Order: sequence, then C-alpha cells, then structure tokens
Amino acid sequence: MEQKAIYEKLVEKFGEGALGFLEEGPEPVADIAPQKIAEAALYLRDEAGLEFDQLMCLSGLDWDGFDENGKGKSVAILGYDVGGQPETSDRVGEGDLGVAYHLYSHGQRHKFTMRVRVPRTAPTLPSVAGVWSTAGWHEREAYDLVGITFEGHPDLRRILLEEEWEGHPLRKDYVMPDRWGQVPLDGKNLAKNPFPATEPDPSGSAPAAPTED
Amino acid sequence: MSRDSKTPPEGYDVDREHMLDFQVPKQLQQVLEDDGRGDGKNYLLTTLDEVFNWARLSSIWPVTFGLACCAIEMMATSATRYDIDRFGAGAFRATPRQADLMIVSGTVTAKMATRLKRIYDQMPEPKWVIAMGSCAIGGGPYFKYGYHVVKGVDLLVPVDVYVPGCPPRPEVLLEGLMRLQDKIRGREGKLQAPKWVSDYAQKIPYRK
Repeated sequence: MEQKAIYEKLVEKFGEGALGFLEEGPEPVADIAPQKIAEAALYLRDEAGLEFDQLMCLSGLDWDGFDENGKGKSVAILGYDVGGQPETSDRVGEGDLGVAYHLYSHGQRHKFTMRVRVPRTAPTLPSVAGVWSTAGWHEREAYDLVGITFEGHPDLRRILLEEEWEGHPLRKDYVMPDRWGQVPLDGKNLAKNPFPATEPDPSGSAPAAPTED
Repeated sequence: MSRDSKTPPEGYDVDREHMLDFQVPKQLQQVLEDDGRGDGKNYLLTTLDEVFNWARLSSIWPVTFGLACCAIEMMATSATRYDIDRFGAGAFRATPRQADLMIVSGTVTAKMATRLKRIYDQMPEPKWVIAMGSCAIGGGPYFKYGYHVVKGVDLLVPVDVYVPGCPPRPEVLLEGLMRLQDKIRGREGKLQAPKWVSDYAQKIPYRK
C-alpha cells in the first residue's frame, strides 16, 4: 500500500490527530499529534491490510535552528575550542523536539514513516513500547541523548551514558562537559606545539628540498 | 657518614646502611681506572642492567586490550603476515597481571577510561604504554564534538610511544614497538630516520 493511502486511513480513523503529510524529500513523512501516537501505533499494527509488525527505528529529533516552514538555518553547535576547553555561548535552544518512527510490514511489504513534535519545555510523549517491544530500548536512547520523556515506558533509564550524566548530549544547545567524575574530557591545547623545534629557523623561509644523507 | 664499613657509626654494631653495598675489588678498580671508565664502582651493575633490559625488551607481553578499529590492525600485526611474535611481543595475555605493555588501540571513551586506568594499575612494574592511532594520541576526529571521548590517553596514564595513523598500518605499530625496545634498551637502535627527515619536520609550520 502506498504511504499516501496509509495516511488517508489514519485521517479517517483519527481525524484531527493526523496533522499533515509531507511528500517532498527522499521519503514521505506523516505528522501525527503527540497525544494520539500510541493509539495510532496500535491501529497501524493491528488493522487488517496495514499490519506493521516491525518498528525499524525510533529516533529522537531536535528542531533547534529550524524555522516554522521547516527550513534549516545554521546554529553554532558548541564543541571544544582549539585550546581544548568547552565552548560557551549565550544562545538558548529554541524549536521543538520530536520523534520519528520508521515502520515496516513483513506481511504486506510496505513501510511507513511518521513523526511527532513536542514542545521543548515539556517533551513528553506516550510510549509505544507496549505496541512494539523493540521500542523499549529505542525510547531509552531517545531519552538518554535527546531528553524526551515517554509516559508508560516500563523502564525509562539512560541506556548509553551513566545515570549521573548531566544533560542530553545530542541536543543542539548542549554544552560540552570538561570532566566526568575523575575522567578529564577537556582536550589538550592544540594551539601550542608539544614538539617545538630545537633550533628555530630565523629566516622563516620554505624548507629546502630534501637531499640524500 | 663514612662509607668505610670497617668503622660502624656510633650505636650500631654494623653499618646497616651500607652492608649490602657491592664493593668492587681493588684490583679490578685499578684496571677500570686505567681503562678510563671512571671510578668503576658501577661497572658490574650497569652490565647487569643491560642483561635485564635485554630480557625485558625481548619478551614484551602485551595485555589483550582492543578498543576500536585500531584493534583490527593490532590483530593483523599479531597474525602471520606481520607476526609481532618475531619481536617477542606476541604473547597477548588475558590478564594485566602477566603483561608488560598496554597497546591502547582505539578511542578511549569516558566510560572506558575508568576501566583503562584500573587495568594499567593492575599491571606489574615495569610497564609500558603505546598510544596507537589518532584517537588514543589526542582524541582524533572526536576532538571537536566528542562529549564522551578522552582527548588523548596521556591525560590518564603515562605514554611511552605514540604511533600515529588512523588507523596505523601494522608496519607502523611494529616500528613503534621497536622504538619502545630502544627505549627499554636505554639507547637508540640502528633504525633511525635520516637526518633530512628530522630537519624537514622541524621546518613544518605548526598551526600559526
């Protein structure tokens, strides 16, 4: 079944819960209202003719730096400077967070992509771990790295980082840490040459061509 | 305090501080002085050191410790084509307590850093560390945005030899191993870069 037709069935079923369908781009995407996502997932899995039995991927998204039309602009993602210290900035992150769901049906051999947007101040979604059990770890990853909370998740903990980690590193306004416990995470100073020349060249001219020694 | 052991200091029956000192026989001392080798007091011990160092550098046992893609090259180095066992370093030990060398082959993440430090502390002295690849030397491609990567393993443990590359080919790791052997031997080996290479390297402008 075509993705457009699947979206039409969602509109029939949920009405206002289906927000829109984006056909441009490499893959068509349906926008779903966040409070309807668990019901839509259950419908997509159990409805005859759809039968999406696999959740291929669940990804956290950060729309920081995108305007209302979905056009991206450059935001200065903070890293470490040449001196090895974490960069800081006064910029506050704006734009929504979200989650993308990539579904596949082994019986019908079709796939479907949908996504939801949640406000940055309260990024909370219903969990789909009860629909596809593989969503459990994926939602833990989205919680760990992007900071989206999933209501109804059986075991919502960080999956990659330690529990004591502060912040969510894949958000675009994340400030890099300088250390984690006893472990230093700030770098060495790359602006300083660790191997200075013993005899500096006073003329500063280009090196001569190598000769046989 | 006098170093003459025949007259012990007051309150002591024997000169405990110097009772274990090795005394070079007077005849040999005279021979050494005539030979132009200083006072000759340390001649025998330095020769023993050379023997010990030769034994150490001929059987550097690395700990089985692979972190990332550099570990693939390290495995290739230990396999038949490159055969790190030619240098006596082929016995990868499964425990740090039997190992002399830690080849940090790959990206050191923050979580791995605590384990790496523990493994290094568990290795008996004398012990050496080779930082293999860009990540272990200075963070590599994770320097700018790596929130989870230690920017160089020398921020955690002392490093003896840096082996650059991403990842380094097995030949380069073997070269690093030979430089480590030179370091244990206490002097430089036969394989040195020609003089024009070092001269040229000093003239390369470095991030002005």
